[in-house]
Amino acid sequence: MRVPSLFVTFALLTFALPTTASRADTLSDRIADGEYLARAADCVACHTAPGGKPFAGGRAFALPFGVVYSPNITPDAETGIGRYSDDEWVDMLHKGVARDGKHLYPVMPYAEYTLMSREDALALKAYLMSREPVRATAPKNTLGFPFNQRWTMVFWNWFNNPNRRFVADQTKSAAYNRGDYLVNGPGHCGECHTPRTFMFGLKRSKAFAGEVQVGWRAYNLTSDKASGLGNWSDDQLFQYLSTGQAPGRGPASGPMAEAVEHSLSQLKADDVKAIVTYLRGVPALSDGPPAVSPEPAAASPDPLGARLFAQACAGCHLPSGSGRQSPWAALAGSHTAADPEGTNLVQVLTQGSELHTKDGLMFMHAFTGAYTDDELAAIANYTQERFGLKKGSISPAMIAKQRTANPDKPAKPSS
Amino acid sequence: MKTLNINGQFHQVDVPDDMPLLWVIRDVLGMTGTKFGCGIAQCGACTVHVDGEAVRSCLYPVGTLDGKRVVTIEAVGGTPNGAKIQKAWLDREVVQCGYCQSGQIMSATALLDRIAKPTDADIDDAMSGNICRCGTYVRIRDAIHAAAEV
Repeated sequence: MRVPSLFVTFALLTFALPTTASRADTLSDRIADGEYLARAADCVACHTAPGGKPFAGGRAFALPFGVVYSPNITPDAETGIGRYSDDEWVDMLHKGVARDGKHLYPVMPYAEYTLMSREDALALKAYLMSREPVRATAPKNTLGFPFNQRWTMVFWNWFNNPNRRFVADQTKSAAYNRGDYLVNGPGHCGECHTPRTFMFGLKRSKAFAGEVQVGWRAYNLTSDKASGLGNWSDDQLFQYLSTGQAPGRGPASGPMAEAVEHSLSQLKADDVKAIVTYLRGVPALSDGPPAVSPEPAAASPDPLGARLFAQACAGCHLPSGSGRQSPWAALAGSHTAADPEGTNLVQVLTQGSELHTKDGLMFMHAFTGAYTDDELAAIANYTQERFGLKKGSISPAMIAKQRTANPDKPAKPSS
Repeated sequence: MKTLNINGQFHQVDVPDDMPLLWVIRDVLGMTGTKFGCGIAQCGACTVHVDGEAVRSCLYPVGTLDGKRVVTIEAVGGTPNGAKIQKAWLDREVVQCGYCQSGQIMSATALLDRIAKPTDADIDDAMSGNICRCGTYVRIRDAIHAAAEV
């Protein structure tokens, strides 16, 4: 019995597998491609409410004109993307027009996704459609007139959405072109790192010169040596993008920590290298705060800042700023300590920051629960003076402003 | 299965990579001298040595040990500086309630291993992040100086 049954199995495998398996492979390959693209595009970051189900939407985006909520992109037919045909889906990604003809708001970076090939767009759809449908309707947007008139996006699109696919530059390497596609297409890095025009489109003449977005400064990514990445080594850039920290450059925090966690750290090494290759070629622009040398400066004269830093900060960051047992806790050399506007320093003190890494959760909780505005300003100034600037630039009023903008949060992960 | 080198002995443990070292030491291996304080590396009660460096074991994923040597409060008295520190602690009667003291002793020993004659500023730097709610800081500083003189 044993031999014939084995033979039958073998025969079945030989005859049955090639056809069924190859069809399955095609679909599963496509879904796998789409899953990878969804990571490269970091769809989950915007399309998930805090604590909500992945891709079910509902995350709030507070814009100067009102609040926009991300929609549900799970395959649910009523509340999600279940009814999209392939053509409707591609139009949505390329032109910013949803299947019911409604115009998307450009919070959705379709002016970048427009570079994606139809094949990639459909792989993305195949992946999203392969997920569990979730029934969830996002809260209603709270935009005032005229911003609640979606059709006016027609005009915005004329000026701001090129509606063309990516074309490789034949004079550049394959790695450069791959990086160009990832950065400007799915990765939509410019959405935070490129300043905006008066219409809130991307100011292409200032590509990657840095900008403040959702209260955090997205730093200058150009090749400028003082303000941009010109002094970073390829290895530092590679490590920063794939892990969220690099020696002598500090950790990623706020929205960049999210981008690393959900997207960049999940990319193949070759793709991260391609991104580095592309960023190396971004023309230098000297906008934004300058970078600094990683050596700590002489001790600060402010005794309050020094005392509070020893109490509140040195436990994790070490007095030298080199970070205790975690490279993500290193402060010395970070852009954030050198920014005279202090945007991200104030944010991280008042909001905290977190990043899930392969070595566990790296986090800093907000310090607003235990310290006053004066004390946090002293800590911030001490940090700047030790690890970045010659003179601290943070006032208690700056702390107070962010404190009220962001109500106290409990410490993690014990909360 | 992982092999951990703790206090010079090899232990086989079957634990996930992201389990904090503190959890392994206390709950898996039953060495309870190292204390759980805050669980978020804010208090220093769980300080142990990893390759001679003072670390907060509550946030140290065991998977990142990679064969490094761990020393806990159970064995630190067997090292020259650990013995000096513990003796100075007893001579000066540093301890009050005692809960934070294993962490304090581990940080102080790591300091003496690095700097034989620490200044007040060295002590402040090294001991920052080891909190004592009884306020034994003055005696801690005194005892570290005393140990350095031996």
